[in-house]
Amino acid sequence: MTDTHPYIEFEKYSEHVPPSIPLAVQQATSRFVGGRAARVAELPQWEQLRQIGSDIRQHTIENMDVYLTKLEEKVEEAGGHVHWAETAAEARRIVLQIAKENNVKNVVKSKSMATEEIELNHALEAAGIESLETDLGEYIIQLAGTGPSHIIVPAVHLKKEEIAALFSAKLDINAPTDPIELARIAREVLRERFLNAGMGISGGNFLIAETGTLVMVTNEGNGRMCTTMPDLHVAVVGIDKVIPDWASLTVFLKLLARSATGQKLSTYTQFITGPRRAEGEFGPKEFHLVLLDNGRSKILKDPIGRDVLKCIRCGACANVCPVYKNVGGFAYGSFISGPIGAILSPQMYGTQTARELPYASTLCGACADVCPVKIPIPTILRHLRRRVAQGDELSESSMPAPIRATASLASLALAWNWIYRLGARLLPIINPFFRKDNWLSGMPYPLNRWTKVRPLPPFGARFRNWWKNVRSAKETESPR
Amino acid sequence: MTNLVIENIRRSLGRTDQSPLSLRPDIYEPRLPESVDSEVARFLDEIKKLSGVSQKLSPTNIASALKALIAEQNIRKATVWNTAHLRQLGIADTLQSLGVELASPNADKHEIAQCDLGITEADYLLSETGTLVLRSSAEKPRAVSLVPRVHLAIVCPEMLRADMHQVFAEAKDSDYLVFITGPSRTADIELTVTLGVHGPKNLYVWMMDE
Repeated sequence: MTDTHPYIEFEKYSEHVPPSIPLAVQQATSRFVGGRAARVAELPQWEQLRQIGSDIRQHTIENMDVYLTKLEEKVEEAGGHVHWAETAAEARRIVLQIAKENNVKNVVKSKSMATEEIELNHALEAAGIESLETDLGEYIIQLAGTGPSHIIVPAVHLKKEEIAALFSAKLDINAPTDPIELARIAREVLRERFLNAGMGISGGNFLIAETGTLVMVTNEGNGRMCTTMPDLHVAVVGIDKVIPDWASLTVFLKLLARSATGQKLSTYTQFITGPRRAEGEFGPKEFHLVLLDNGRSKILKDPIGRDVLKCIRCGACANVCPVYKNVGGFAYGSFISGPIGAILSPQMYGTQTARELPYASTLCGACADVCPVKIPIPTILRHLRRRVAQGDELSESSMPAPIRATASLASLALAWNWIYRLGARLLPIINPFFRKDNWLSGMPYPLNRWTKVRPLPPFGARFRNWWKNVRSAKETESPR
Repeated sequence: MTNLVIENIRRSLGRTDQSPLSLRPDIYEPRLPESVDSEVARFLDEIKKLSGVSQKLSPTNIASALKALIAEQNIRKATVWNTAHLRQLGIADTLQSLGVELASPNADKHEIAQCDLGITEADYLLSETGTLVLRSSAEKPRAVSLVPRVHLAIVCPEMLRADMHQVFAEAKDSDYLVFITGPSRTADIELTVTLGVHGPKNLYVWMMDE
């Protein structure tokens, strides 16, 4: 059974953004943009690495069935269990089943977009299992009951005073407003939970097909705690995270932290191949990998749109996006925000449900310039706008018929030179009907959508003539 | 037995179970090492940039360095990797003679959680990023570098590798491998950098100068 995602109201939300959001988000993004620029400048082969990263991701997408089959074989060889989830609902059912079989009452979670995507916490709680987010930012927003405003620093929209008040109320203590003290309190509270949890749940940054290895990149160490302390580890990972081998991984590790936080490497990068092998060692006795499809295999069908699956989730595109910086993460109405969210959500949830998102962009192209795996985000945005407007095999067009008719005429005129020229000669005929003080106004539907807001200059100015004149004038001025 | 996800992928890509795997694009040329001295200097310098404490140390000065560390960090209980090199350096004995209680690295997790200090070696070091690479085993449990609030790694120049490419070539058969690049950190509250949120707050790296 497929979940139906609620309609994403980007425009409505973005009209009422609380002013604190862009302020906090821009502080975060400017720090990350600066850090990234410094790291990139140190690495002369940066552009070469991006190209290789892009090529390997492309190659992996085109051969995904082979690598996933290999991955499954290798994880099982290492003593792990592999589960395939076609939908979010199936993934939730699998995780709940594992929890029930092992009589789990408490879960510790490390930050993971895949578990956000399948809304796992709700499902666990509904089944009477306590699920605790342990990344500091995620812990704070879980206590606050809100969503993330930024991919790397999810609670950046909250002030330290608000966090202190939250800790005081929820933990029944008198919390100070010092960020370092607040982090210390979280460490103490969560330490107890790590030690007593029955199951650790994580996502994963990469899956190495060569050896069946789960790669997790974190800074706080909570990801390591979740996979070291409990006897049971369940990783929920999108099928798009598979990469061919360890040699490929070196490319992505060099790209990821530099693009995300401006670090050379994140503090902890762990490589987990199956459950623990030695007695006396820590780490889980049982390791489960849930491979999540949830629409990804369907996205592969679109040769332009599928490049979204190259993403390694660094957030660099959001950090430079003028739209994201003004509305923050909530407006994108999904687990993933920013330019990458604008091209993923419409493909995952349907071009009707997320039809506003391809337009949530100025097409300035800054996202494509920084993307470590060279996803052509503006190209995909334009492609999805076309899918939204024309409809596709999965959903109908969302444009009113007159707009579509006008657009078809315009595309005809732009495709055929003689039609364009004829139109340009004929259009001034209508000038006298709408002309007021040298401007056109009060035009009929659908052109009134323009003239309601501002007048239109009269038709007649012709670029070709103007250009011809300018050029001949220039040539006579300065002969070479 | 094929599954539905793989079938859907193949249908979308227009492939079958007979479709060949195309050739993976080549990767970059791995970084080459400079002289040992400059690699060591770079490694120690990178750790300092990450708010870690790093120094070269002669084995004869280990006892006094441990004494200073114990006083500075108020260490009462410690756990140490059970390796030949650390035994040879007499780490556990020195700690005990300084009045520090020792927990076995294989002790119960609740006991490891009471330790103030965890001492490990490393299997490899990355000079470019100031990274410790640790392979885990029964003698070298993964919790020792994670759970205590202070982590001390005693390392030597032979462990240095110029590029992570060489590390992976040697270590990809491990069941658990971890890169440690500086102490645990977060900037989740108002972007204020805070050390030691879940992992160790303090990272010490002593490069044996033998």
